[in-house]
Amino acid sequence: MNQDTKKTTSPVGKAVPRIDARPKVTGEAAYVYDMRLSGMLVGKMLRSPHAHAKIVKIDTSRARKLAGVKAVVTATDTPKIKFGSNEYFFPYTVDQLPLEDEKVRYIGDEIAAVAAVDEETANKALSLIDVTYEVLPAVFDPVEAMKPGAPAIHTSMNNIGVMLPVQYGDADTALKESDYVREDVFVLPSAAHAALEPHVAIGQCEVSTRRITLWTSTQAPFKVREALAKTLEIEQADIRVIKLAVGGGFGGKLEMLPMDFAACLLSQKAGGLPVKIACTREEEFCFTRRKHPVIYKLKSGVKKDGTLMAITGEVIADGGAYCSYGPTVIAACIMRIFMVYKIRHFRVIGFRVYTNNPICGAIRGFGGVQSGFAVESHMDLLARGIGMDPVEFRLKNATDPDTVTVNKLVLSTNGLKECIHKAAEASGWKQKFGKSSSEGEVVVRGIGIGVAADVMGSKMYKAHESAGTIIKVEEDGSVYVFTGAADTGQGSDTAMAQIAAQELGVAYERIRIKAADTEITPFDTGSFASRVTFISGNATKNAAADAKRQILEVVGRQLGLEKDGLDIRDEQVVRRSDNGAVMSFDRAVQLCYSFDYGHLLIGRGHYNPKTTPIDFRTGEGNISGSYGFEAQIAEVEVNKKTGQVRVLKMTDVHDIGYPINPQSVQGQIEGSILMGVGYTLHENLRFAEGRVLNPSFSKYRIPRSTDKVDIASIFVETNDPQGPFGAKGMGEASLLPTAAAIANAIHDAIGVRIRELPITPEKVLAALNREPGRE
Amino acid sequence: MKTVTFTLNGKKTTVEAPDHELLIETLRERLGLLGTKPSCLEGECGACTVLMDGKNVLSCLKLTADVDGADLTTIEGLAQNGTLDPVQQSFIDAGAVQCGYCTPGMVLASKALLGEKPQPTDEEIARGLDGNLCRCTGYIKIIDAVRAASLRKP
Repeated sequence: MNQDTKKTTSPVGKAVPRIDARPKVTGEAAYVYDMRLSGMLVGKMLRSPHAHAKIVKIDTSRARKLAGVKAVVTATDTPKIKFGSNEYFFPYTVDQLPLEDEKVRYIGDEIAAVAAVDEETANKALSLIDVTYEVLPAVFDPVEAMKPGAPAIHTSMNNIGVMLPVQYGDADTALKESDYVREDVFVLPSAAHAALEPHVAIGQCEVSTRRITLWTSTQAPFKVREALAKTLEIEQADIRVIKLAVGGGFGGKLEMLPMDFAACLLSQKAGGLPVKIACTREEEFCFTRRKHPVIYKLKSGVKKDGTLMAITGEVIADGGAYCSYGPTVIAACIMRIFMVYKIRHFRVIGFRVYTNNPICGAIRGFGGVQSGFAVESHMDLLARGIGMDPVEFRLKNATDPDTVTVNKLVLSTNGLKECIHKAAEASGWKQKFGKSSSEGEVVVRGIGIGVAADVMGSKMYKAHESAGTIIKVEEDGSVYVFTGAADTGQGSDTAMAQIAAQELGVAYERIRIKAADTEITPFDTGSFASRVTFISGNATKNAAADAKRQILEVVGRQLGLEKDGLDIRDEQVVRRSDNGAVMSFDRAVQLCYSFDYGHLLIGRGHYNPKTTPIDFRTGEGNISGSYGFEAQIAEVEVNKKTGQVRVLKMTDVHDIGYPINPQSVQGQIEGSILMGVGYTLHENLRFAEGRVLNPSFSKYRIPRSTDKVDIASIFVETNDPQGPFGAKGMGEASLLPTAAAIANAIHDAIGVRIRELPITPEKVLAALNREPGRE
Repeated sequence: MKTVTFTLNGKKTTVEAPDHELLIETLRERLGLLGTKPSCLEGECGACTVLMDGKNVLSCLKLTADVDGADLTTIEGLAQNGTLDPVQQSFIDAGAVQCGYCTPGMVLASKALLGEKPQPTDEEIARGLDGNLCRCTGYIKIIDAVRAASLRKP
């Protein structure tokens, strides 16, 4: 059928084709990289070659004299205002200048930027900027950095940028009352987002008004606008941030980077010519953001019957040179435990430590991946310690629906136990667990489980977390949805279109989306914390309901019918009582625009999730409007001679509330799981003296098509009353339990425990030699 | 400078290109064909894949001077008169598109694969696309799409 004449009414719950799929398969979709503006200059960033040094002098005179150079900027051209990403709740973590002129804190710290007529000239200009440094002692290990006498990177004591002690009940007594207590230490490496589209920004300044337009590859255009306004010291109203198609984000495009700032400032200095700055792949690996490496210590106790008595522990994260989203990462690293396990006695303290390594920030899962591996491995060991089946152990301790946790999270719909049951059943857990016949065999199989929960929204930079949508219905019946939600590939434009069409009662194909332009679309905090379907989706649903109400009012008045007795379904205005057609949607819209009414149809809606204020010092408060749950079972094959691990199958059972688009939901789950498999088995962003050792796709291996794993994906539909059409957010949860599920399956296969990622063949062989007997 | 003549999406094309100019630069900067995506620019991700005489090549590793006489197809050349190529349609139907940045290269690599092996097994599809990275999908729906395209009547 021709794409244009197809009509999909009631699209929610259907696997409609993505609204942006066609321009993407034809290569027509425009990314910032593809923007062409007349007179556009090439911008480049000058970065520190030292991990820690004082800047004695910056001399740009030679660069400025080079033919073809249009602008050179350093900190002296800026108001020298710092930015940070968790400013509202953690003001003391605002610690980064867009351009440094006193001190550099990592290899890559931005010092200057140039704009020139072409790339060659821009690179030449960078080489002509003379910077005199006084190299300072540097520290790269977070534990070393916390010791007295370590080089001070900022002014915080012992280089601790964030400390988060979370304590409830009486953990010490509860540990004493436990029948079995064990302590484990887990070590997690750094990782890269590795979105296929590198960061790219084009800044243009209207010099006479100092108004700025920035096209940038971002997950959060409104957040970028706020940071730009602050650091450039201009009004937000004078900044327009526009998102085009974005080639993947995964948390790496969630904040303003110095290159965004520089592109705008350079344009201003270059008389308003647009300036484009794009990261090379190497810059992308070395100088953007990355995953926090974490040392996660856990000591917990259980009763013989499996009752979890107390969880205690310590999280030490290497945060790199600046704080970025560090506070929320540490919070998420600890707080997710409460969503999953019923626990009253708890004491985990988190430290995010400054080092002279590159900056760590948000990455899909927000600390939940690190915590997922540590906690879910530890829980497996606790279950084994008391001889209890790990599935039974989790069922015994999993949180329930309609409960409030000890730290005041409100878990309303909660399909966790159903997820665990279904995962065990679908994977054949009972027949497979503990059945590895390892004696004499080289290749053995194992099965392991991990569970997780996730938020759908998290207050990271504002007191509210609201999103808004405007819908206009034109005279010809066309429907435009203006949303601040930022589609970075996850499919939010499609979800918004489906939700709008469903609520308005029209075909999906009618909808046109205009998204994420700070000057045109309503505010939205951005694409993070799996919030968009839930929060922006509700805003869109409310806007569509408002437009519908206006149409029904006119129809009701015209026909002398009660508007509340009318609805719009499948492109028809109908009577609610008998679903009888009153008039077509098109006719109804024409009526609104007719001589008698002249009613322009503009629907508006917003949504702020029902949360309570969070006290980030204690971790108390309800951070999300609802919560999503997940159980994952991994089946692996381990070669005891080579140490190689092959993931045979992942069974993923996910409480997604209700799937707005089942195909998109599967796509998120499959992508998350393979990302998790990559992090479990081979991804590792490595460093020496603060320098990234593997900044390319050949050296930093992300999963390839030949690494794909079989995934059985099952939805648990809890139809959340808070969610739009029952939907919950779900873009990250499937990544959280993957590493532990695999590590637990390896333990089942060969009887040894790997506590450090990635689980390389060398580590498997070393563990086999170290622990010849079973634990 | 060299005068290079080739067939591009069915049309004879001549460009004057410096000896060091890369095919991706010629396509994007000189000819305005922006569907060919730059990502690593060092031959490791497949985003800039184009077809040269039916085979997939990386336009970031190819000098324009070396494509003289070749028959090139970019993503812009696949759809005919507004009708998508079966591979493109299958990518839409299977949900194989997320951020879309790898998609043009992935579609063209799939096209080359199917040209060589019209009825590939899933393993052959995976091996055939091993040089094209995708960070979004987990590849499952991409393999579904290529399988579906192989079964589709053109």
